[in-house]
Amino acid sequence: MKIVVAIKQVPDRDEPVRIDSAGKWIDESDLQFAMNEPDAHALEEALLLKEKSGDDGSEVIVLSAGPERVATTLREALAKGADRALHILADDLASRDALGVAQLLAAAIRPEKPDLVLTGLQSEDLGQGQTGVILAELLGLPHSTLILHVDKIASGIEVKRELEEGWYQTIQLPTPAVLTIQSGGNKLRYATLMGIKRAKNKELRAIAAAGLVSTAPPTVVLEKLSLPQRKKSTQMLEGTPKQAAAALVEKLRTEARAL
Amino acid sequence: MNFAFPSLAEPQHFSLAEKLLFSTLALASVLLFWRRFGVVLGKILHSKKDPGFHLAPILPRIRDFVWEVALQAKVIRQRPAAGLAHAFVFWAFCAFVLVTLNHCAAVFGLGFLSPDGYLGRAYFLFAALFALACAVGILGLFVRRFFLRPKWLGEKLSWESGFIALLIFALMATYLAAFFTADASPSTRALWWLHTLALFVFLPILPYTKHLHLVLSPFTVFFSRGGFSRIPPLVGDEDFGLVAGDSLTQIVSLQAYSCVECGRCTEHCPANNTSKLLNPKQVVLGLRDYLNDLGPASTEPLLGKYNAQQAVFECTTCGACEFQCPVGIEHLPILIGLRRGAVNTGTWEDDHGGQLFLNLERGSNALGISPSERDKFIQRQQLPIFDGTQEYCLWLGCMGSYDPKGREIVADLARVMRHLGITFGVLRKEKCTGDPARRLGNDLVFQQLAEANLEAMAKNKVKKIVAICPHCVRTIQEDWKEFGAPPIIEHHSEFLARHLHQLQPAQNQEKIVFHDPCYLGRYRNIYDEPRAVASLAGTIVEAPRSHERSFCCGAGGGLAFLGEESGERIGQVRAAELAATGAEIVGTACPFCNSMFRDAFAADSAAPQLLDIAQIAARALPVREPGNGGV
Repeated sequence: MKIVVAIKQVPDRDEPVRIDSAGKWIDESDLQFAMNEPDAHALEEALLLKEKSGDDGSEVIVLSAGPERVATTLREALAKGADRALHILADDLASRDALGVAQLLAAAIRPEKPDLVLTGLQSEDLGQGQTGVILAELLGLPHSTLILHVDKIASGIEVKRELEEGWYQTIQLPTPAVLTIQSGGNKLRYATLMGIKRAKNKELRAIAAAGLVSTAPPTVVLEKLSLPQRKKSTQMLEGTPKQAAAALVEKLRTEARAL
Repeated sequence: MNFAFPSLAEPQHFSLAEKLLFSTLALASVLLFWRRFGVVLGKILHSKKDPGFHLAPILPRIRDFVWEVALQAKVIRQRPAAGLAHAFVFWAFCAFVLVTLNHCAAVFGLGFLSPDGYLGRAYFLFAALFALACAVGILGLFVRRFFLRPKWLGEKLSWESGFIALLIFALMATYLAAFFTADASPSTRALWWLHTLALFVFLPILPYTKHLHLVLSPFTVFFSRGGFSRIPPLVGDEDFGLVAGDSLTQIVSLQAYSCVECGRCTEHCPANNTSKLLNPKQVVLGLRDYLNDLGPASTEPLLGKYNAQQAVFECTTCGACEFQCPVGIEHLPILIGLRRGAVNTGTWEDDHGGQLFLNLERGSNALGISPSERDKFIQRQQLPIFDGTQEYCLWLGCMGSYDPKGREIVADLARVMRHLGITFGVLRKEKCTGDPARRLGNDLVFQQLAEANLEAMAKNKVKKIVAICPHCVRTIQEDWKEFGAPPIIEHHSEFLARHLHQLQPAQNQEKIVFHDPCYLGRYRNIYDEPRAVASLAGTIVEAPRSHERSFCCGAGGGLAFLGEESGERIGQVRAAELAATGAEIVGTACPFCNSMFRDAFAADSAAPQLLDIAQIAARALPVREPGNGGV
């Protein structure tokens, strides 16, 4: 089975976020970057599929678009067990929309003719949840989202999909297909010394974005980025303890959406 | 000259038949000895060479050899009665070298010690004293092993030990008896031949039993790695630690074959004492069995049939085993080496362990807490930022940055330092020193952390560090050396002890028991300084197991970050022992020990107070210094 995993390198989730001077993106200087967590789960699922299939020549290829620094995350993926990596060099990723990014990825994926394309449900920075779905459409492949587990079956694949309130859905799809993976389905493996050493000999091929797809103006443009204003407000709830408690539950449910 | 003392009787003449018999027996004995010893030696020499091993400096090696082998210091010190008995057996063997050489030479008329001459007679009497001590000693040890049966010698009775004891007794008895016979009498000849037989049976048995340590242990002590828990570097792209037979090095193999099965390591192991699988003696013997069965070229995993992975990951790296070993076996590099073999190749699967490594890979600290929390703590406590002008860099560590109790300790140390007028600053960003990764065997994460930290320290021009955590101190001073030159670092107990005269004792003097942290005591040899500071609180009482015998709190070796322990909880056992001294205060010098005891005492309303020595030092300071708000 040939599996392509599309991953994104995002700012580390614990980093303090500062808006840049233009007000259109974050200030990336001084930031630590890491693999997007849902993509890490996609990689984990791909590696498990490869391990489960035994020795049938299964291959896991990782793919990522972005500037030079993305190579570190690709090497990490190779260290965890991916077989080879493709790096689409693009310095202007922040100014592309989901369609633009999906077009880059599709152009790189098409010649590989994979059986399965896995990617994270959404990214930790923009969180649009669109790239994977658009990618499926561009590749002309069936897709399913919010996937926790994938199993190979005779007619293709069987997937476990997460719904709300603890409900799950089991779906069968033919391959080739595209899946967007939800976090939490498996425990992530840690990078090992042996993995890093072996990764030194694995192929990491860089392709210029310009060579893949002609740049078209984005269909969605990010106008402004700002930090939420922190407001503090206090509401006093009147009535007997029973009435106040009922009112509190209502507010937590409908206003704060904490329940 | 005429002596009142008896003299040794020897047959004066040996017939040709006797000479031939003697030669045949001698040859057979030596050949049988070599038949097995040659194999063992081969296994040791065919193991990998040890990277990073240096013979120099040679003086410490000679010093250790004299202290541990010749003077039997470790043997006696940690188990006095049995140890002294063994020491006499050993010294008797040393004295008997000349006696035995003379014994064999005499067959061919080449004896060089004459019972009539002054030198010979004196020497034989000298040896006789030792023979007597040895005979008594071996008898005592026999009674101990077969009748008293201490638990640490194992469940099964060792008939081989019994037989060896008999042979040793026979050697001494036949020697001593010859002082009471005459040269010409047949009993002298009989005794002589009995002695010879005992000798030639003893020799070939040696390499088949743990008594091989007679030959090997002087070399084991001499060729030790040096230091304490000295973890060797990994070399090349295929070295991941102790994975299979072909990763075993000459030092490890030599140590595996030197084990005398005394069980002193297991006796003091905190994991073994709380019903866990780990048995340090069995780890070493497991390697020996592996070498015997499969040899040093085998690719079968070391963890599997011969040693359980679970056991190896129960080690807190407290060092009680390595510290005790009378034949110089270094358990910690072996245990950590086995962990490396599992972790560096990804064969260790543990939910908490994996999460720890992921936290260290991405975040910067072992607790998985956002670094902005550390920034907030620094701001609240108004801790100055290190800018190269201050005398000390105060290293917070993961516990000092994020743990509530650790933060209290840091805050109090900062108060004391301000009071003393010592300038200090904290680094804007800290990454974990990598201690848990290092002790669990994850060299990838450890290298990344060590290199990043060394770079940050160089950039910030850090020259001197003081830290509240013995794990940080050890890792920075020793383990980072593999990747660069770390700044000088000391533990806050050393710092505070130097300034003791400027610190006030508490108004209310109470009884205080100080718990020696493993990484400060056994690892760094610091026992008095923290006690000097602790005595500001009152009179020191000692726990039954203290100083180099201190019983681990259970947090080391990365175990504070792993899941639930099986058996009893090490921290609770130790906390109970400390509370049972009747002390009103338990003094600590490590934030990990502190957190383990805090947890153990939480359910006990009658528990003693738990205070770090920094808190004790700060107690008598005037209250409400700047920055002394919440932590």
